[in-house]
Amino acid sequence: MKTTQSAKFLKVVSPDGEGDEERLLTPAARRAFPDDLAARWLRACRKLAQAGYGEAIVTSYVRNSPAIAEILGPEIAIEMADPVSAITIKAKRKAGALLPWAALKAAERLKNEQLFRSWLGVIERFAALAPESVAPVLEKMDTLLAELNVSRLEAWVLAGVRSGGGDKARRLRFFTFADPQAKLWLQRESGGVVFTDMERRLKAYLTALWRLRIPIREPSPGAGEQSRRRVSFDRGLILLPPTFPGYRGLQAEEVFRASLAHVAAHFMYSREKFPLRSLKPLQVALVSLIEDARVEHLAMRDFPGLRRLWLPFHIAQASGASTAPSLLARLSRALIDPGFEDADGWVRKGRERFFAREDEWENPQISREIGGLLGNDLGQMRVQFNPRTYVVEPPYHDDNMGLWDFNDPDSENFEEAELLFESVRFEQQQEDDTSSPDRERKSEGEADEVNRAALSREAYQEEGIPVARYPEYDYVTGRERGEWTTIVEYQPKPGPAGLIERILEDRHDTVNRITALIRSARVGRAERLKRQAEGELLDIDACIEAVVSRKIGVTPDPHVYATMGRRHRDLSVLVLLDISESTKDKVLGEMATVLDLERQATALLAHAMDGLGDPFAIAAFCSNRREEVRYYRIKDFAEPYDAMARSSLAGLEGGLSTRIGAVIRHAGVDLAGQSTHRRLLLIVTDGEPSDVDVTDKKYLVEDARKAVNSLAGAGIDTFCVGLDSGGDSYLTRIFGRQNVVQIDRLERLPERLPMLYFRLTS
Amino acid sequence: MDLDDYRIDKEPYYRALGNEVALFEAAFTARMPMMLKGPTGSGKTRFIEYMAWKLNKPLLTVSCHEDMTASDLVGRFLLDAQGTVWNDGPLTLAVRHGGICYLDEIVEARQDTTVVIHSLTDERRILPLEKKNEVIKAHPDFYVVISYNPGYQSVLKDLKESTKQRFGAIDFNYPPADLEAEIVAHESGVDDKVAALLVKIAGRSRNLKGHGLDEGASTRMLVHAGQLVSRGIPLGEACQVALVLPITDDPDMRDALTSAIAACA
Ligand SMILES: Nc1ncnc2c1ncn2[C@@H]1O[C@H](COP(=O)(O)OP(=O)(O)OP(=O)(O)O)[C@@H](O)[C@H]1O
Ligand SMILES: [Mg+2]
Repeated sequence: MKTTQSAKFLKVVSPDGEGDEERLLTPAARRAFPDDLAARWLRACRKLAQAGYGEAIVTSYVRNSPAIAEILGPEIAIEMADPVSAITIKAKRKAGALLPWAALKAAERLKNEQLFRSWLGVIERFAALAPESVAPVLEKMDTLLAELNVSRLEAWVLAGVRSGGGDKARRLRFFTFADPQAKLWLQRESGGVVFTDMERRLKAYLTALWRLRIPIREPSPGAGEQSRRRVSFDRGLILLPPTFPGYRGLQAEEVFRASLAHVAAHFMYSREKFPLRSLKPLQVALVSLIEDARVEHLAMRDFPGLRRLWLPFHIAQASGASTAPSLLARLSRALIDPGFEDADGWVRKGRERFFAREDEWENPQISREIGGLLGNDLGQMRVQFNPRTYVVEPPYHDDNMGLWDFNDPDSENFEEAELLFESVRFEQQQEDDTSSPDRERKSEGEADEVNRAALSREAYQEEGIPVARYPEYDYVTGRERGEWTTIVEYQPKPGPAGLIERILEDRHDTVNRITALIRSARVGRAERLKRQAEGELLDIDACIEAVVSRKIGVTPDPHVYATMGRRHRDLSVLVLLDISESTKDKVLGEMATVLDLERQATALLAHAMDGLGDPFAIAAFCSNRREEVRYYRIKDFAEPYDAMARSSLAGLEGGLSTRIGAVIRHAGVDLAGQSTHRRLLLIVTDGEPSDVDVTDKKYLVEDARKAVNSLAGAGIDTFCVGLDSGGDSYLTRIFGRQNVVQIDRLERLPERLPMLYFRLTS
Repeated sequence: MDLDDYRIDKEPYYRALGNEVALFEAAFTARMPMMLKGPTGSGKTRFIEYMAWKLNKPLLTVSCHEDMTASDLVGRFLLDAQGTVWNDGPLTLAVRHGGICYLDEIVEARQDTTVVIHSLTDERRILPLEKKNEVIKAHPDFYVVISYNPGYQSVLKDLKESTKQRFGAIDFNYPPADLEAEIVAHESGVDDKVAALLVKIAGRSRNLKGHGLDEGASTRMLVHAGQLVSRGIPLGEACQVALVLPITDDPDMRDALTSAIAACA
């Protein structure tokens, strides 16, 4: 078999390169690879042939690459032979043979070399993470790219890798679309309004209206259909479906907004959970329905405009059949829509009962009462109610899970009621991505960086060296304990310096803005510099003084000119990064850890500081009791910001605790040695100071405050960037209100930090 | 020379929020220099105008800026036909003839400029004019007031500790809702209902301070919005022009604010 194949294949390309030119260089190929490019292309073809991957792969490359060259130029078409062979090695022959074909489809869709390269990058990374699934995905590339752009394709691919975890079979099910999740994620990524696109503005909306800041998650992929269709909540958490199918564009945006405003109304006005007791599912549904109306009316007392937000979703018609779902939807509408007329006796009665109690709307008990009565009525009317199929209407209302206490020991109808709520339990909402594609990706990237980092790796030492001892302040006694902490300096473990460059590439928008800001900081904002020995303007004040001096017979000061120029930036900065254990946490909705984001932010910041020419140093810290406060020097003031420094930054790993006072003192010593007019210590930290040998939370806070004060006494400014949204109190205590800024969305830290620096030092 | 031109003869409208008027009067009597702290547009300038009127003292306001030098405060020699003449700056005028010198946004000035007030704001109450070889003893009515917006975050722009500690301070914050509505109604001419609504809207933006906005909408912004409304502009549009668009460029925050405003009415 093997021999026949290679025999056939010999017809196309002969491995020794003899006499294949005629056959290979078809008119199309000649057109695509003119002149000496043809030789390079032939070499690429032969290389594939010599590798012995099989005929199909070579043929596919030979056939498709000229067409790719026509679209994207010959260079990339030739270079593509490398990824073809890489994919073949990683993901088997079928994938390798499909790649050139899929690449042509991608080229046709993307029409841009840059995008195409990132597409290739996505496929290569994908092959490293889930080799078995590459072929099925390549087969569908044309349809996939019809819906997704490259970065959304990547997101979709990663979603699949994550949902499959380490399980090949599961991944394969996802990527062959046997798993319905694949389609769902595809919808999500394909530009229908997705919650994450609006998350920030909607959270800000709730903050603006009620000062509510509640974490919002997606229901876990395993949650039942019900809970994927409606918003759900419990104390301190909102679960929001990623999309509301059927709502497009502006309407989709409004349904998210309406849902969150509704849930927020529950947070504001639904107090105790209702005990289930002996309530029947129908009664549960009705009590919930009345409760929904009650909280909405209370919310509308404060914010009447909410009615305009909610009303359009109530589309139940009075003419509907007298089934339970229809009647309930109509009652819902009757309770919010004053213009809605429904002749049905039950709906009218419900409305009358509800509005008769207007004075008591503050009291949640009335929902129990009214809902209970209405349930009885409906029961007597023998209207059938099927808890299994019931879905709350309108779609912006929550699934009512958050209203009921399932642990109520008196509940008799627990199981029945449970049907209503089917499946979601908040415990299930654990993070389910145990395998991190990000981490895998990193280790893959490391491979091609080995050489560059090798140099510094040789010099790397595991051991730390104790370098200094500092006192610590005990607020209880109001005294400092001498030599209480020991700073142990460690050499940072070198990582791939290329990672830092990649960060800059990925964030090219921010880099561009930084570059513009650097330029304007350099050339812009010229000031009038007075009393110069030379210049293009006369400094009137100085001139007058000179005249006065002459009149009274004193030698005039010759500095009588003024010039327009930029005052020197006279500032050195030490950036101090918290790398304690908590920085290993994943950031919500991201695959990156807090530390990853700190790293990205620092990479961008260093780029900015380097560009501005401000002398700067970077260090990181964590601690393991007072005897071992670790200090990692990433870059010192005297060192250039070179591959070595970048490699140290790339290699940072999190761990241990946060004994911040000692580190502040240590960094202060470095800064004190700088001769600039201004000296700034910029600290990035994600949590409260803590250490294993300290139980009193206040102790390290007070000590840190003391350290900051003593730096201030030495003319060193300290500024803190807080990554803990609850950190207001202790951070302001340590640094002073003006010297703290909280980053409200961690994932924005990388762009915010350099901007903050510009602002801070402008 | 007197400073009659600097006197305020018509009572400015100022709605007291607490006992700041009495506090200020006491501080003035003790000639304790005062610092008015508070976010932009919270009534600091209006307050000092009102106090100057109430105490019947001239008010010399200096808006501080980065390029300001000590001469801009103290004065300088100018040339005329005969040679050179000395020209008192606003600070010197107030020191010589007695008056309130109000240094607005003092952090904007460079620190080497602000130190000239040091000798005036301690027991000495003197102003040395080095260039003129003169030392002026401050007139009994001379008084320094500075304004200071603590929200402004630039480590390179802060008052020296030695400057700060020479002053007493009054905190200006946004007034309670009913009083703020009263102010907005008075200043812009809208009716009480619209004024209350504007204040409610301001509350939304203030909730976002630190969560996307650097600062919430000030009383001044509400007055602006009210002025547009009383000239026939619909409320939503007025808020866009006077409030949403000036306060942020962040599209998400603009959206959140606009929607929150829509919820208010
Ligand atoms: N208590 C008050 N009484 C009367 N008017 C007020 C009061 N507070 C605010 N205002 C109104 O707000 C406007 C802005 O106030 P003002 O100019 O005094 O602010 P400011 O604190 O000096 O701001 P900035 O720091 O930007 O100079 C005033 O023109 C006035 O219309
Ligand atoms: Mg509800």
